[in-house]
Amino acid sequence: MGWEEMQVRGYPEFVQTAQSYHGRPIFALFCGDKDAEGRSWCPDCVTAEPVVRNELHNLPDESVFIYCLVGDRAYWKDPNNEFRRNLKLTGVPTLLKYGTPQKLVEEECFKAELVRMLFTED
Amino acid sequence: SVEAHKEEDNPQKTMEANGLTPVPDSYDYDLIVIGGGSGGLAAAKEAAKYEKKVMVLDFVTPTPQGSTWGLGGTCVNVGCIPKKLMHQAALLGQALQDSRKFGWQLTEEVKHSWMTMTESIQNYIGSLNWGYRVALRDTKVTYENAYGEFVGPHTIKATNKKGIEKLYTAERFIIATGERPRYLGIPGDKEYCISSDDLFSLPYCPGKTLVVGASYVALECAGFLAGLGLDVTVMVRSILLRGFDQDMANKIGEYMKEHGVNFIREFVPIKVEQVEEGTPGLLKVTAKSTTREQMIEGEYNTVLLAIGRDPCTRKIGLDKVGVNINEKTGKIPVNDEEQTNVPHIYAVGDILQGKLELTPVAIQAGRLLVRRLYAGETTKCDYVNVPTTVFTPLEYGACGYSEETAVEKFGEENIEVYHSHFWPLEWTVPSRDNNKCYAKIICNIQDNERVIGFHVLGPNAGEVTQGFAAAIKCGLTKEQLDSTIGIHPVCAEV
Repeated sequence: MGWEEMQVRGYPEFVQTAQSYHGRPIFALFCGDKDAEGRSWCPDCVTAEPVVRNELHNLPDESVFIYCLVGDRAYWKDPNNEFRRNLKLTGVPTLLKYGTPQKLVEEECFKAELVRMLFTED
Repeated sequence: SVEAHKEEDNPQKTMEANGLTPVPDSYDYDLIVIGGGSGGLAAAKEAAKYEKKVMVLDFVTPTPQGSTWGLGGTCVNVGCIPKKLMHQAALLGQALQDSRKFGWQLTEEVKHSWMTMTESIQNYIGSLNWGYRVALRDTKVTYENAYGEFVGPHTIKATNKKGIEKLYTAERFIIATGERPRYLGIPGDKEYCISSDDLFSLPYCPGKTLVVGASYVALECAGFLAGLGLDVTVMVRSILLRGFDQDMANKIGEYMKEHGVNFIREFVPIKVEQVEEGTPGLLKVTAKSTTREQMIEGEYNTVLLAIGRDPCTRKIGLDKVGVNINEKTGKIPVNDEEQTNVPHIYAVGDILQGKLELTPVAIQAGRLLVRRLYAGETTKCDYVNVPTTVFTPLEYGACGYSEETAVEKFGEENIEVYHSHFWPLEWTVPSRDNNKCYAKIICNIQDNERVIGFHVLGPNAGEVTQGFAAAIKCGLTKEQLDSTIGIHPVCAEV
């Protein structure tokens, strides 16, 4: 069946989407919002996104890849935002395997080897 | 490629026998580490720093109950880490009780959920397993979740959980396979009993538990299980904490007894039968006295065996490469550079004969070994005056000689023991025991009253002991200790 991608924005949409795919492996990439020209306020996210997209073909069958824009810079900087509080995110970009402690944060997302490991290994 | 490696092995042997330097380029790796625990990972990561080509093989053979775990070894998965967290859970239970006397109004009865605790702990362990995977991949260390065994002087066969075998060669090897819990060898032990390998991920509350053994594993587990509110009995064959200062061991036992842990002394189980299936079920244990003709029976939901740990050295092909092991214990004798009798094969960690079975020791030994091999350093691991702590309900920290070993080595007339009970300030208001916490130092009279043994029984014993270990390493004397002004009000000022 391969894998599929869902694009969401904000915490409630993310949770709703993740829950709807309960039972399938879910991978999520969290990035800062993009402006009208499609550039994110988060420079590391700009670097990481192509690296991650390049490895998507390694996703296991049946998985879901959720691309989630977290919000604007001010929202992200708030130490109490829902992503920090509920998902325990500490930085953007974060790439994680939902429901497991497996994640890559910030510069770790620049490394194709690590992204591939997250997607392919138990 | 299998044949090619075999051909290279034979000329290798002849060359070494003739004393010529072997050709390094013929190997897949500079170093293969068998075992991804405290010692193995520390060594592998260190070797990667010197740009060596390193492989780590780690594999957990499931327990009789089917438990298994991820990369990181005993400490991370089924040892120090979950143990300390469960000990903390028990301490927090005690703190909740104490808090009432300090004015906190707990309106509901406080109950404990085994599942909530275990889930949180396993989640944290999972993040550590993942962290190690990332660290290894990031430093270009090859990791395989496969069982490694020697098949030739420089060749390892790695078998993964699907049974697929691969061969790898290396110039050097470090064996860091660690240990696993020992079973009693009685009917019902493997079918119905659990060990520390199962306890920390047990998917149900153990209930009324019998702990068999008197090791620190047995007492720590019994301690926190009782602290979480469970009915706990400890069955002891002879003495508590063999190898530790017996004066302190007895005080630990007394404290546990007064705080709800039952002890059955001088008995050993001879069979375990299932009365009822379940999670937990009900087991019947029959035990025999070691001193007279007497048998007893008891029923428990869970039987936890903690009677010792055996090195994983018997099934890794050491006979094929001529590495000597102590046939009785399975431990590997090494020289003071962690080298086995085979020059290119080294060993670190719990499997070493005559060395302390502690994570920091394995880490230090692994790192220094690698620095000697690849960075031209000469520092050897210092195994003397290593501090330890037993996390029983009343914690025990120690560094240096026990009183009995000091007497044996120096003679009773040449040592002086200074001791004191103390009452932690935090225990006064909630009316906790005023005569249980205790500290003693053992001094060598002939060497300026140098402190050669430090023992403390009380809260945060580990935190207290660490600093004193550094002082002892610097040659602390009684006079220096006396002239150090205390911090008030803390336990350590005693």
